[in-house]
Amino acid sequence: MSNETIKIQTLNNNNRMSTQELLQLITSKLEEGYTNFDIDASGQHNIGGSSWAKDRKSELLFTLRNPGQRVGAMAMKGTKIVVEGSAPADVGWLNSGATIVVKGDCGDTAAHCAAGGKIYAAGRVGTRSGALMKHDPKFEVPEFWVLKNTGSFGFEFMGGGTAVVCGYECEDLPSVLGNRSCVGMVGGTIYVRGKIDDIAECVSINALNQEDIDFLSQGLVKFLNEIEKSNLYDKLSDWTEWKKIIPAQNQAKTRMSVKDFRKNHWVENGIFGDFIHDDFVVYPMPSTGEGRVHVPNWNGANCIDCKICLNNCPESAIETNDKQYSSNDNKCIGCGICEAVCPKKCWTIVSDRKEIS
Amino acid sequence: MDAVNVNNLNLDDLPWIIEYDETKCIQCGKCTAVCSFGAIKPDIEKRRKPSNGLQKPSFDKILVIKQKVSYTHHCRGCGMCSRVCPNGAIKAIRNPNDRYSVRYRAAKAESLKKGGRSNLNTEGRTLDKIKIGRISQMTDPSLDAARHKFELRTPFGRILSADKIDLHLNNGEIEVSKNLPPNRWIYPILIGDMSIGAISWRMWEAMAIATAYLNEVVGLPVRMCTGEGGIPVRLLKSKYVKYMILQIASGHFGWNRIIQAMPDMIEDPAGILIKIGQGAKPGDGGLLMASKVARYVQEIRGVPRADLLSPPTHQGLYSIEESVQKMFLSMNAAFNFRVPVAIKVAASATSVSVYNNLLRDPYNIVGGFFIDGLAGGTGAAHEISLDHTGHPITSKLRDCYLAAVHQGRQGEIPLFAGGGLGQTGSFAADAFKLICLGANGVFTGRLLLEIAGCVGNDIGKCNACNTGLCPAGIATQDLCLTKRLDIDKTAQNIVNYFIATDMELKKLMGPVGNSTLPVGRSDALITVDKHISNRLNIQYVC
Repeated sequence: MSNETIKIQTLNNNNRMSTQELLQLITSKLEEGYTNFDIDASGQHNIGGSSWAKDRKSELLFTLRNPGQRVGAMAMKGTKIVVEGSAPADVGWLNSGATIVVKGDCGDTAAHCAAGGKIYAAGRVGTRSGALMKHDPKFEVPEFWVLKNTGSFGFEFMGGGTAVVCGYECEDLPSVLGNRSCVGMVGGTIYVRGKIDDIAECVSINALNQEDIDFLSQGLVKFLNEIEKSNLYDKLSDWTEWKKIIPAQNQAKTRMSVKDFRKNHWVENGIFGDFIHDDFVVYPMPSTGEGRVHVPNWNGANCIDCKICLNNCPESAIETNDKQYSSNDNKCIGCGICEAVCPKKCWTIVSDRKEIS
Repeated sequence: MDAVNVNNLNLDDLPWIIEYDETKCIQCGKCTAVCSFGAIKPDIEKRRKPSNGLQKPSFDKILVIKQKVSYTHHCRGCGMCSRVCPNGAIKAIRNPNDRYSVRYRAAKAESLKKGGRSNLNTEGRTLDKIKIGRISQMTDPSLDAARHKFELRTPFGRILSADKIDLHLNNGEIEVSKNLPPNRWIYPILIGDMSIGAISWRMWEAMAIATAYLNEVVGLPVRMCTGEGGIPVRLLKSKYVKYMILQIASGHFGWNRIIQAMPDMIEDPAGILIKIGQGAKPGDGGLLMASKVARYVQEIRGVPRADLLSPPTHQGLYSIEESVQKMFLSMNAAFNFRVPVAIKVAASATSVSVYNNLLRDPYNIVGGFFIDGLAGGTGAAHEISLDHTGHPITSKLRDCYLAAVHQGRQGEIPLFAGGGLGQTGSFAADAFKLICLGANGVFTGRLLLEIAGCVGNDIGKCNACNTGLCPAGIATQDLCLTKRLDIDKTAQNIVNYFIATDMELKKLMGPVGNSTLPVGRSDALITVDKHISNRLNIQYVC
């Protein structure tokens, strides 16, 4: 293995090295045992990604200027990438363990799908940053640190990992997370310093606890050290300015019931209250009393007091006293069995329709 | 023993036959107690005992449930008896040998009446043969239905083309010289027009409550059309009237109360819908059977208890031009030109002529064109109208839209389509397809009834809305039947259905890649039916 730094110039006499040429050159140098690279890039993609030392143990170091998209894409544990300045979109895409330090701003979708390692951004990051970050519990928790703010739609579908947005010099922004961030977020944690607005409904915003403060105070030292801004620690470490965002899946949106709406907000006594005095009681099937569709009526002219009706009534609703029969409205469901069984046709079923008054 | 005469109505003539298992029956009487049609009753059957030849034959008497053979008390197949039977001993079975309609006409010298829907389904549904086949795949991103913010609102009211809007500059500010026609941005699914009287007060109020709740609590700007059966003054004077589209049909029922309430109204209504006709019985007027003209219905409509037949036309309107000049003008004037006025007609071979004519609208007062297809429902109609008149909605909506496109005037008078939507289970799919074919929105009445627990269907189950004996408490004015309906559950279920449908509409808008309603985006539709492809001008696929 060699500690010698391989310096690569990607522009020679106006001839630019293609992404393929650069990445294949890096791979051949890795196979020769080199681990340190200093690259003056000219927009080449994927630098520092899917690379490992020949001995599978030594650490790799990439120092980059002017890289293209997807710096550190699919990068592994043991890789460190330092971008001297800003980097375009997709920094740390699918990062699987590398430490990626961007000394300036990151483009859109930084840390997209990052599942390991640490990504440190010394400025702003673009839209959809932190989207789909995830954490496989067999590996360490991925971290994504941003000194300033994120663009809109950040942390969509986030499933795990930790993001920290420090809101430095963002006091005038309405939201340090832009608009509609955290949509579809189901896991992970985002620590934010500064204003948050127009965030997805599926998350909750909480105060920090001691565990959070311990994590942040240790992590912040390391982050600021990596981006060479340790002097900001005091300014950023007023923990009362911080909030913690976590998914709130179990906090299902609860609306008042329609019943409560009717009782408390609807026209009092109902819109038909001028005509109808409805108690809004619901009649089950079958019902007794007023709720009966059919009602028995007894005419005893031919009654022989045989009690067949009384003995066959399924609701035991028929009462008799001195050869007079009646049906108890509170028990009778109006089935008509009394009419059917009476040998003298004393019972008739009346099915007149009734109106409400 | 009673003689049997072949000329009499027989059990085998009835549309539904009760299948009853006496070995399971415990004679609890629940089935007969709940049957609102009185179609079943307890009865005594005699069973002969074996005789030893020495004694006279003797009989056991057994209590059983029997079906009535009657023109008025026959089984409608509603199934309430099965619901309440603890042992599954009873159910109504469709009779393939049904000859009821012939027998009825022969016996009564009357046209047969029904409620509900058409039961003669010979055509199949066009909408079911159309799929959404233009999916955003790398051409443009599909939208995430669950998370994207969609704009589903649609205009109700006259839209002026840009060149008709009189703009001028006033101190560097753009001003509109003349008032623009009134317009409301509303949810693209309207709760269709079912009148007080046709449905129970609880059903009507449940829909009104659900509408208010959807607006105030859920944030969906759903509008409900009142139907023409009067409107409770308490609603007119409440703030919730702003979610109501008042209907005026040929009977003009209840409008005197609306007029008298005007000075006390704190909000304008959402709109006015002039009903010329309805899809289920086109060219026929409203019909409310006397059995449903309860006292409060008499009061609110200003009529005695009688069969209420509305004329098939608005008397005094003899042409399209006269309709615009008189009816639209009067209804616009009613609320001082602040409230959009639309018109509803039954789909017809003539619909395009009407729409073309309306599009001229020199006064800018035609705020919407509602077309109602033949699969719509009704509270009561002659079976002959229900089963044999009408025009399917899909091609007619498409024709009207393309007629407007031909003139470059699509969207100026918003199109709304209805009639049998959701018939095969998915309302959102039907709505979406019609919107892609050119509708700005859709309307439905019977979906609401089904949500509330209507047991009827398109193959002859129940369909007894005209009797006033609705077993679900929906199409009745009877006290004990109406009170079967839980007003809160009904309203809650309507609300829930709309929330679910809202999600499903977005589930279709996402793949197509539209953030806003895809009105007229027929490129999103495909069909494996060559005729439908030709007729609707959508892509044929196989």
